[in-house]
Amino acid sequence: MGSSHHSSEVMAYITTTLTMPVTGERIQPASDLELARAAAAGDSAAFEKLYEQHHRRVYSLCLRMLGNGTHAEDLTQEVFLQVYKKIGSFRGDSAFTTWLHRLTVNQVLMHFRRRGVKLEHTSEEGDFTNVVETPLQSTRRISMVDELALEKAISQLPPGYRTVFVLHDVEGYEHEEISSLLGVSIGTSKSQLHKGRMRLRELLTKR
Amino acid sequence: MVCKQCQELLSEYIDGALELGEQVNIERHLCDCEPCRAVRDDLLQIVHFSQQLPMQAPSTALWPRISSDLAELTPGFWSRPLRWLVSFRTLNFNFSVPQLVGAAAALAIVISIGVIVSRRDSGPVQLLAGPAPSANSDVKPLSQTDLQQLEKQITQLSVAVEQRKESWDPELRTAFERNLLYIDQSLVECRHHLNDNPSDGVSQELMLNAYREKVRLLEGFEKF
Repeated sequence: MGSSHHSSEVMAYITTTLTMPVTGERIQPASDLELARAAAAGDSAAFEKLYEQHHRRVYSLCLRMLGNGTHAEDLTQEVFLQVYKKIGSFRGDSAFTTWLHRLTVNQVLMHFRRRGVKLEHTSEEGDFTNVVETPLQSTRRISMVDELALEKAISQLPPGYRTVFVLHDVEGYEHEEISSLLGVSIGTSKSQLHKGRMRLRELLTKR
Repeated sequence: MVCKQCQELLSEYIDGALELGEQVNIERHLCDCEPCRAVRDDLLQIVHFSQQLPMQAPSTALWPRISSDLAELTPGFWSRPLRWLVSFRTLNFNFSVPQLVGAAAALAIVISIGVIVSRRDSGPVQLLAGPAPSANSDVKPLSQTDLQQLEKQITQLSVAVEQRKESWDPELRTAFERNLLYIDQSLVECRHHLNDNPSDGVSQELMLNAYREKVRLLEGFEKF
């Protein structure tokens, strides 16, 4: 069965069973490409506009991967300096957000390497072996209003777990990409993710 | 399968990354094991809310620091006038099946949560479909037997769907798994509300609808 056949049947299924709004994704933020070209040509206002549009995303990623606001600001600063230096190499083959995101992740990982942060936390192995005995209070709900607790718990994860968790569950990376970025096996990435999630569960239920 | 084995595989299970045999074994175990279901629900919650974390903002002092560094790097850069006005192209929109399915499921979740929250905050509300449950609602409470029957039906359908999955293309598989995840997350929400208030008619109805939706989804995809 071909892909297009599948797609049409899925569309029919969706149309007949679900009521939904038509929503869309902006494929290529044209303004980003134009701004990047302008900034590369020496337009400082265009660069400032790029900063205005993207600094929250960059800072959020740094904050969640580092778990520290001050370090996250320092790294955000480094990221935008790198953007300035490299913006001439951005050709628009991918979305600017994708390019910037990769650049940010690489900066964070370089930061870890410079500081000798070990991503593999073998000492954390088996820390949650007793989850079965956790009473059913473990189902305590993480509600929308508890996002602060979730942020805090993420910041308390060991760097190895936190890096994989943030990349996979917050930023939507696949294990193959994480494995390539971190230079670890896919199995290690999966294992770190699972341990990270279980540790988060522990942290959230202990609140 | 014992609980330890089950829990070691739960992350891959909720990510839809397990082989058919392992998945079926886990689902059978989950049907009979409340503690493992609780762990699964917690992990689903963590994954769900992690995807929705809002962006954070740095201090307003950051940009002056950056622009100061840039001024040192390239004297004159920040004093150049705009050479041309940046024009904005018309935004292009495109839709894919997974996006549409995701949007539909997300809307369903938002509506479900909105209804529950509204009801909690301001009493009975009118549901989008069907009569509004109220304090003296005649919605039949979900019995444990009803739930077990539904879960058994879902397990059987899941097995059938898993057998079909191998012939699916990646797009169809992604659409299915994402939609299934959203429904499971809705079920988790309902379970939590019913834990807090077992007689909540709205949550009972929403949970029943979510189960039915899951059955419809599985039945629908079983044909592909």
